[in-house]
Order: sequence, then C-alpha cells, then structure tokens
Amino acid sequence: MKLGPKAAAAALVFSASLALTACGGGAGAGSNGGGNASTALTLGTLRDITSWDPAQAHVGHALQPYQAAYDTLILREPDGKLSPMLATKWKYNATNTKLTVDLRTDVTFSDGAKFDAEAAKANLDHFKKANGPQMAQLASVSDVAVVDADTIDINLSATEPALEYFLSQAAGLMGSPKALGTDAIKTVPVGSGPYVMDKAASVKDSQTVFTAREGYWNKDLQKYRKLTLKILTDPTARTNALVSGQIDATLLDPKNGKQAEGAKMKLETNQVDWSGLLLLDRAGAKNPALANVKVRQAINYAFDRKTILDQVMLGQGTATSQPFGKDSGAWTEELENFYSYDPAKAKALLKEAGFENGVTLDVPTLPGAETLISVLQQQLADVGITLKPGAAITNTFTADVAAKKYTAMFYNLFQGEPTVAIDQIVSTKALYNPFKNTTPELEAKIQAVRTGGDDAGTLARDVNKYVVEQAWFAPLFRVNQMYYHNSKVEVTPQAQQAVPSIYNYSPAK
Amino acid sequence: MIKFIAKRLGSGLVVLFVVSALTFTLLYTSSGSIARNILGDQATPEQVALKEQELGLDQPLVTRYFAWLGDALSGNLGTSWFTSEPVANSLATRIPVTMTMVFAAMILIAICAALIGVAAAVKRGWVDRVVQVGAIVGDSIPGYVIGVFLVTLLAIQLGFFPATSTISPEVGPEAWVYSMTLPVIALLINGVTGGAQQIRSAVIKQLERDYVRTLRSRGIGEREILFKHVLRSAAPAGLTVLSLQLIGMLGGVVIIEQIFALPGMGPLAVTATGQTDLPVVMGVVMYTVVVVIVVNLLVDVLNGWLNPKVRVS
Repeated sequence: MKLGPKAAAAALVFSASLALTACGGGAGAGSNGGGNASTALTLGTLRDITSWDPAQAHVGHALQPYQAAYDTLILREPDGKLSPMLATKWKYNATNTKLTVDLRTDVTFSDGAKFDAEAAKANLDHFKKANGPQMAQLASVSDVAVVDADTIDINLSATEPALEYFLSQAAGLMGSPKALGTDAIKTVPVGSGPYVMDKAASVKDSQTVFTAREGYWNKDLQKYRKLTLKILTDPTARTNALVSGQIDATLLDPKNGKQAEGAKMKLETNQVDWSGLLLLDRAGAKNPALANVKVRQAINYAFDRKTILDQVMLGQGTATSQPFGKDSGAWTEELENFYSYDPAKAKALLKEAGFENGVTLDVPTLPGAETLISVLQQQLADVGITLKPGAAITNTFTADVAAKKYTAMFYNLFQGEPTVAIDQIVSTKALYNPFKNTTPELEAKIQAVRTGGDDAGTLARDVNKYVVEQAWFAPLFRVNQMYYHNSKVEVTPQAQQAVPSIYNYSPAK
Repeated sequence: MIKFIAKRLGSGLVVLFVVSALTFTLLYTSSGSIARNILGDQATPEQVALKEQELGLDQPLVTRYFAWLGDALSGNLGTSWFTSEPVANSLATRIPVTMTMVFAAMILIAICAALIGVAAAVKRGWVDRVVQVGAIVGDSIPGYVIGVFLVTLLAIQLGFFPATSTISPEVGPEAWVYSMTLPVIALLINGVTGGAQQIRSAVIKQLERDYVRTLRSRGIGEREILFKHVLRSAAPAGLTVLSLQLIGMLGGVVIIEQIFALPGMGPLAVTATGQTDLPVVMGVVMYTVVVVIVVNLLVDVLNGWLNPKVRVS
C-alpha cells in the first residue's frame, strides 16, 4: 500500500510525458526525413532480404535491394533487352559452350577493392559454391577462367540459353572480392553499385537506408541522393504508407489498389505470373483419369476464363490458355484462346474418354484463393467433374510437390525466360513436373531450345504448343502486377519482374 | 517471502524446461523438408541434402535438443536458417519495440481502468451504467479494427500521426514515441474497458463486506476506507486481471504490429513461422514463456506482499 500512490504518480508522470512528447513530435515527424524530396526515394517493399551476401540473392521482389548496392555484369533494360554494365561485351563460341566476357576496368568497390577479371571469377566461383537460393543459375557453368585483367571465359558443361539473363540477375551481382565469404558482408553489402548502405539509419526488418555513392561510374543509373526501402509486409500497411505519403511507390493488389486510386496514385501494370491448374499426374499414377488427354482437355474447355477474371480478379489480368509468358518469346497468339469456354465440348470429350461420370480432381487450397477455387469447382461440376479442395498449402508445400503428394493443383507461377520456364514446369528436372512426365517428342523440342542460343525463345514455341495441345495445364489468366506510385516519381515496369528494377525510377519532371 | 519467491521461480524454470522440450519435439518432427523451403523451387536434391547436413538435420532429435539446450543455457539461441542472424540478436532488437508498447499500454490501462472502475463502483448510478455499456462495446471491438480506424482517421485523413512506424535511429526518440501512440491506443482500449469492469466488481464486492460496515460505524471517512482498506483488498483481483490482459496482449500485439509495420516480435513470429525458421520460432516461444512466467511471478509476489495469506497457501 505504501508504494501504491507513488507507483501511480510515477505512471502518471510517464504517461503524461508520453503524451506530451507525442504532441511535441509535430506533423513533420510523420513524414520522411531526408531533406529535398526530389532527391530522395522511398519504396515500400514486401520483405527484408535475408543476407547481403550477393550469393544469397534472390530474384523477383528480392532483387531490388541488391541492385542498390551491387552492379551486375549485364544490365537488363525494362523491356528485357540485355545491355552492358560491368561487362562491356560478351560472346559465345560456335558451340555455345563458352561465353567470353569483356569487363570494365574503371570500377572500384565501396571498400576500395578494384573490379577486374579476378574479382568477377571470385564472385562466380563464390556463387557456385555458396548454396544460395539461386545456385541453379550457374549449374551449367563448369569453370571460370581469367583470360587477362579484363576478360573472363565462362565454360559450360551444357548449353544454357538463359545464362546471359542470369548474369543480369542474382548470379551476375558482383561483390568486393575482399569481402566475399566473410560474416561482415552478410549484414552490410560491399559492392560497386550506385548506393551504399547507411548502416546507422537502417533497422533490420523495418527499413534499409542507402545514400548515393560518391564517384559512381554511371551517373545515369544513380538518380537519387538517398534511397530508403521501407519493409511493409502487410498490404494494408503498404497502402496506408503510400496514401499518407510515407512511401513513393509500392506493389498492391486489386482490393487495396482501389484505395490507392481514390488517393490519386498512378498505376503501372505488368504481367509476370500466370494462374491456373497444373494437371500434374499426366501418366495417371494416382489419378487414372488424368492420363487421358481428352480429360485434361475437357478440364480446359470447362472454364469461362473471362468471367472468372472479371468477377474474382476485378478484371486485373488477361485470359489465356498458355503457360508461357509474352516476354519469353514462346508466346503465340494462336495459343492465347486455344481452349475457349465450351462446356458441351468438355462433356463430349469426357464421354469419348469414357469418364463422363467419374472424374475427381483433388487440389490443395492456396491461401487467399478460396473464392477462386470455389468458382472453378462450380464450373467443373457443370461438365461433370468433381473438384475437391483439400487441406491448405502449408510451409512444407514445395517438399510435398516434389514428393508427388498432389495430382493437380491451382497455383500462380512466374513466367520467365524459355529455359527458366521449361525447368520450372515442363522438363523432368522441374519441381512442378514431379511425376517426371515426358515423351521423346517433347525431349527433342526441349533439347532444341537448350542448344538454340539466340533462337531459344522461338524454338520454345514448339514446347509451348505441345504442352497446350496435350493439356498439361489448365491456365486461366496472366495476372496484372499492380505497382502504384505518387506523382513525385516516374516508374517504368520491368519485364518479368513484379517490382521494377532500381534503375527504373526517376524524379517526375 | 524469499522462500516463496524461490519456490515460484523454481516452478517457473520447470515450466520453461518442459515447454522447450515439447515445443522442440513438435516443431522438429512436423516441419517437412525445411532444407527445400530454404533453398526454394529450383533446388536440386543434392543441394537439399547438403543443406540438411549443414543444418544438422541428419542428427537424432534428442542430440539436437540437448545441443540446443546447452547453447540456450549459455545465451546462444542458435542462428536463423534464413538470415544467418543469431536468434538472440533478432530478439534483442525486437523485444524492446514490443515490450515498450505493451508496458506503455499496461501502465495506461492500469491507471485508466482503476480510475474508471473505482468511480463506477463508488458513484454507481449513471457513471456505472456508462462504464458497463462501455465495457461491452470495448470488449466487442477487436484491437485491429480500432487500429485500422485510428490509421484511417488520425493518420491518413487528418495526418496527425504516421500511418506506419518511423522507428529509425535517424529520426530520434520523438518520432519513435509519435509512432507508438496509435498502436498503444489500439492496444489499450479493450484492456481499459475490460479492466475497469473487473475492478468495479471487485471494489463493489469489498464495499458490501462486513468490515466496511464496521469501519463506517466507527466513523472512519469514506476516502480512508476506500484507499486504505477497500483498494488493498480489491487489488489482487485487479492485478490478476491486468496480468491476464498483459499475457493476452502478446497475441493482439502481433496484428497491431503488422498494421503499423512495427519491427517487433509479431512480424518476426509470423515470418519465422511461415518460413519454418525453427531456431527463430523456438526463440519466440521461449521469449513468450519467459514473459508469462515473469508476469505471473510478479503478480504472485505483489499479491503475497499485499496479502500475507497467499504466501502460506
């Protein structure tokens, strides 16, 4: 009892001081620090990166922070064209098994180390053995040889048409050779990129602050004095931060996009993923009906894609029958509407296949896709196919896919370069081909793509056509990535990336 | 009193040990192929096998648990599988954010709930009715709904507060407190209304007891009866309610931290669980258990101090 009033008094003083300090904070504290707004850029990102070691870099959303601190060997333009960066030019030998790369000689890393052929080799070797999430990007590289101070040869054990693309991605990020393999580079990046991390102003999982690097070799890529990546996992928090002016740009979804549009934010859309069913058990190992191509085609004819898109996705996407993306080169107009909405034809195909009453599809439930799955269930039921949504996809999902737990599934998948897409969903080493389905005909087509060099995209059209005709999948639509920004910044979407590359932002004129 | 505290502390340690063993067993036997989760879609079986070896997942469960326990006793909670950051470091940067928010909310709840509860019990009449209705309304609105409402009104429409946190060394402590205001309000509303209701009931119960009548018959003033006798007797009930609220708040704070993008324990727990980052999940569980044990211990000690009978029982 003696302490009671004292404790209460102390608490009152504390709360009063809390309230007073809160009032004293003033409206300015809510906005971003950093002085001149036109030279500061603040982006809302979906998650913090796991390690600043370039060998642990990821693609997609996660590439952006690495681009601030690290240059890549090759620069990927917004439309997907590859341009020089740390590499000035590169050329394959006649058999596409050796890529000779010429390098810049005027670049230094933020710790003073010089970029040269030895540094490039050190990075590629480090990437190959660091067991990072994108290690497969250099799987075909047998060794890297230093030719002279500004030239390397990348020798391949098998042809890899996507290698140049990978060198503009995670595998191409160049860190200081002095820092590679140390613990320090895991928490503070040491690259030659346009920005250096301001460690004191950065808070793990909250924000990463960068400042422009003095004497950066390419001023055209360094458009801001300060760059802040604010980590906002929750889409509602991202929307609130954007409309209240805390961030300049971020990725939203159709639902939150409405609020951003109401606040006069500008929208850039870009199609990166496709959504649809993966009919995985094409040999009928667990679900015999799926072995029959007519059943798989019937599933495709059962969907009214345009209506589903309009109702479930608020029209944010494009209906399609093909799993390969427009930027891959494998996309063709004729496959876009290959399976039109035709329930009568679906029923007829099922009858021809002898499965007019007996097809059941089990699919796991993708979190957030419950509404869509119930629509698919309804449309399949209309032609006599039972769709059974199973347990929700859990964090053991990839392992479950590899273990052939699912015979069919609804999913969103990235549409990458031809060989990237093939190795993701078609080839026998693809995770999303767990039953290892293939035919000699398909193998020949895939091999043609692998050895096709610059023609890989066009050759992949044959693979695309094959999997569409054989109804390996039931694609529904390509999804719009909805990137919103305010009027202070100009943003150019990046092909095959949900968020633009860091170079695609500039102050609005 | 020392014996009493030692006894409580001992049972707390036993609980901590049992929970750690159970959690470890449950987590590490039901988490599928973690190595593949870490490496992603493109990983080859060889990469997965190498990663499993790196993480020591090829060792028997008991060996791994005792290795973990041995390290934990020396303050090393392991390293995150996804970020390579020591778990103890992650917790050390997250706990202050969450605990500042929780303690600020608790202090305000304690003050407001006590004032409102005592006022309702003593004054009764319309004050009491307002408190009763307020308790029902306050209890029925989840904290996150209040959070979203506060952000929409006070941050986006009126611009008084930041919509998401500005917790950063570069903006100074003022902005930090400023960032905390809306989350703390969102957290405390349920607590104040619920707490006031409980304190009101406890005070009324005491006011109806015989000893109060006896004190009044001796001519002792109402103020003295209330502050010296009634509140002391009603305090254990109030403390218990507050401790339960604090423990309950550890759950509510997860959503509030997500809404306001506060880098506290909530997002860490959500991310780690989603990724199956087991060393971090273990760390979060241990932190939660320690908080619960400490809060219960403090409440027991305070109750024992206020009411010697508790120490004997």
